[in-house]
Amino acid sequence: MPFVAKRCGVQFCPPSIVLIYESNIKDTNKMRKRIIPVRNFSKCSDCCMAAERMKHHIRHRAYLESVSLGQLERLHIVLRDHMQGHSLEHTLASLRLDPEEDLNKLDDEELARKKAQMDKLFERNRRRKDDPDFVYDLEVEFKGEVAREPCSWDEEESDDGF
Amino acid sequence: MASDANGIPELDQDKYDADEQVKIICLGDSAVGKSKLMERFLIDGYRPQQLSTYALTLYKYNTTIDRKAVLVDFWDTAGQERFQSMHPSYYHKAHACIMVFDVQRKITYKNLTSWYTELREYRPEIPCVVVANKIDADMKVTQRNFNFAKKQGLPLYFVSAADGTNVVKMFKETIKMAMSYKQNSSDFMDEVMRELENFELEQNKDLSLQTAQEGLKPESPESV
Ligand SMILES: Nc1nc2c(ncn2[C@@H]2O[C@H](COP(=O)(O)OP(=O)(O)O)[C@@H](O)[C@H]2O)c(=O)[nH]1
Ligand SMILES: [Mg+2]
Repeated sequence: MPFVAKRCGVQFCPPSIVLIYESNIKDTNKMRKRIIPVRNFSKCSDCCMAAERMKHHIRHRAYLESVSLGQLERLHIVLRDHMQGHSLEHTLASLRLDPEEDLNKLDDEELARKKAQMDKLFERNRRRKDDPDFVYDLEVEFKGEVAREPCSWDEEESDDGF
Repeated sequence: MASDANGIPELDQDKYDADEQVKIICLGDSAVGKSKLMERFLIDGYRPQQLSTYALTLYKYNTTIDRKAVLVDFWDTAGQERFQSMHPSYYHKAHACIMVFDVQRKITYKNLTSWYTELREYRPEIPCVVVANKIDADMKVTQRNFNFAKKQGLPLYFVSAADGTNVVKMFKETIKMAMSYKQNSSDFMDEVMRELENFELEQNKDLSLQTAQEGLKPESPESV
């Protein structure tokens, strides 16, 4: 890889993706900054498609090789939310998993963002049908009830009548 | 009336009275993994039927039990859980329930109480299993007791839709429970009682509205 991305971020005005990268060309190994303008992008645009377009853009793709599509999409989401008038805080929270948050309260898009975050671990731990060691009916015995320990989630038992 | 609870014109729920038809419903908060569990179980090709007007997804599964062909309909919500309550037609004629929580999110475990209360309002007797999903994220949870299941006398399964642990086992055992409930239950009596109760209610309403015949018509689908 001629360019290795180190950090990335956004610039709201004009909407752009900012990339800090290391160049391996000619042994310079110097940190550089590249500002990639986000064109034809509005508050109604599809962030996933826009991210894909950028990722494969003939002039930028070499620089973006080590930036995942998911991350590029999130950067576009930050830009689009800003165009829609959302605060940066709101956007970052929507892209973060908070185990205390009640996800029943979210609308479709907000929920999809949370699920996309969950998908990272899901995909990492996933056993697929075409994996060589795939077992359809995978059974694992765990300790029986008596041998198990109490769970802290049951502690306030008396308060909520659980 | 039966047609009231049926509620979904596209679906004839009377078919669930037939011997070889079973209805199993999934309950639980948003994002606990209900749909991923279905997909893992039906991994060899599934064609879910989307009823988006009703925020509902149906999965069909063919199997044989005691050398008899059985058709299982799994009902999964597609967003209706957002209201922390399901339309009565969701529970109507269900033979078993799979109640899921996410072992990484306490709130989804706490909310089992309200899901279970609602389930029992509509289906006081059907078998129900509690499913602790996403154990791949934290295997330590399998050493913990989750009192809710024990208190309610329900079987508890530790599963992972991601790596597949105990998913097929849980579904197969639930199907068996659903079948044996169907064969042995006094379901029919439940239905009759319910019809009688409804009848009284409807009559009262009808009198006040003075539209006695209207009461016999199915509810409009918009109310789902
Ligand atoms: N690590 C892990 N993640 C899971 C598992 N099952 C589901 N998920 C994640 O949880 C998210 C929500 O699952 P989904 O089936 O859509 O939940 P539903 O709203 O209850 O139907 C998915 O996008 C996955 O990323 C699991 O067994 N392990
Ligand atoms: Mg779902």
